[in-house]
Amino acid sequence: MNENLFASFTTPTMTGLPIVILIIMFPSILFPSSNRLINNRLISIQQWLVQLTSKQMMTIHNNKGQTWTLMLMSLILFIGSTNLLGLLPHSFTPTTQLSMNLGMAIPLWAGTVFMGFRHKTKAALAHFLPQGTPIFLIPMLVIIETISLFIQPMALAVRLTANITAGHLLIHLIGGATLALMDISPSTALITFIILILLTILEFAVAMIQAYVFTLLVSLYLHDNT
Amino acid sequence: MLQSLIKNVWVPMKPYYTQVYQEIWAGMGLMGFIVYKIRSADKRSKALKGKIFASDGWGRKTPSYLFRTRRIPVLN
Repeated sequence: MNENLFASFTTPTMTGLPIVILIIMFPSILFPSSNRLINNRLISIQQWLVQLTSKQMMTIHNNKGQTWTLMLMSLILFIGSTNLLGLLPHSFTPTTQLSMNLGMAIPLWAGTVFMGFRHKTKAALAHFLPQGTPIFLIPMLVIIETISLFIQPMALAVRLTANITAGHLLIHLIGGATLALMDISPSTALITFIILILLTILEFAVAMIQAYVFTLLVSLYLHDNT
Repeated sequence: MLQSLIKNVWVPMKPYYTQVYQEIWAGMGLMGFIVYKIRSADKRSKALKGKIFASDGWGRKTPSYLFRTRRIPVLN
């Protein structure tokens, strides 16, 4: 049972070849690009959604920050679609792997930090000391702010990994419990099944919310540094 | 194929790859450095454990300090 629980999180191979790259590239097929002015329904809905999200997320930025619109929209689409596809039974979710999420978080966070130090060095250094700090607290607060800066990419990655992995594990456990209870007590199995349905609805929401939170936090770090 | 790749990908994305994402490339370099450090540390610790367990044939318990300090295995 223990091995079965974590078997869905191993990187998939087919006859010894890693197919995880194909799985990561798969969601891009679901977002066709088109050069037409008036598109079909699928592309029109997707473009409307992307426009809505980009307007909501990017209006707070100045010109420099808005150059990252493409990156942030790709990020939210990728994480959202990957998380949602992972809710299909027997599928592999790349965002359950910490390596993948660190690979997304570290370059983006470092990009925002380097941008801040390169273009607005004084303002970037000033972030290490909040305004109105008493003088005797300054050394401790600078240390705390430095630690909180370096924790940002770790928090980004671990938050996404933990949320998606925990959700999948819970679905696996409660599904297994429902199956086991069907022979013992059908009424309890029915209650567990209703819990499973509610949990699945929650996981759909979590999948989209985590994508939004990841992108929003990167956007906030960018706003601080531009 | 390379020509269509250049025409469809590189030409529209050139200002992004060359100007906008400069800091992100630097971040990717930082990430690659971190990955290299973690991989080499893992390789070194696995090699060290392999040497320690292979060389001691008398059933003695391996001293714990050998796992915590960096030691270069000596071939006799």
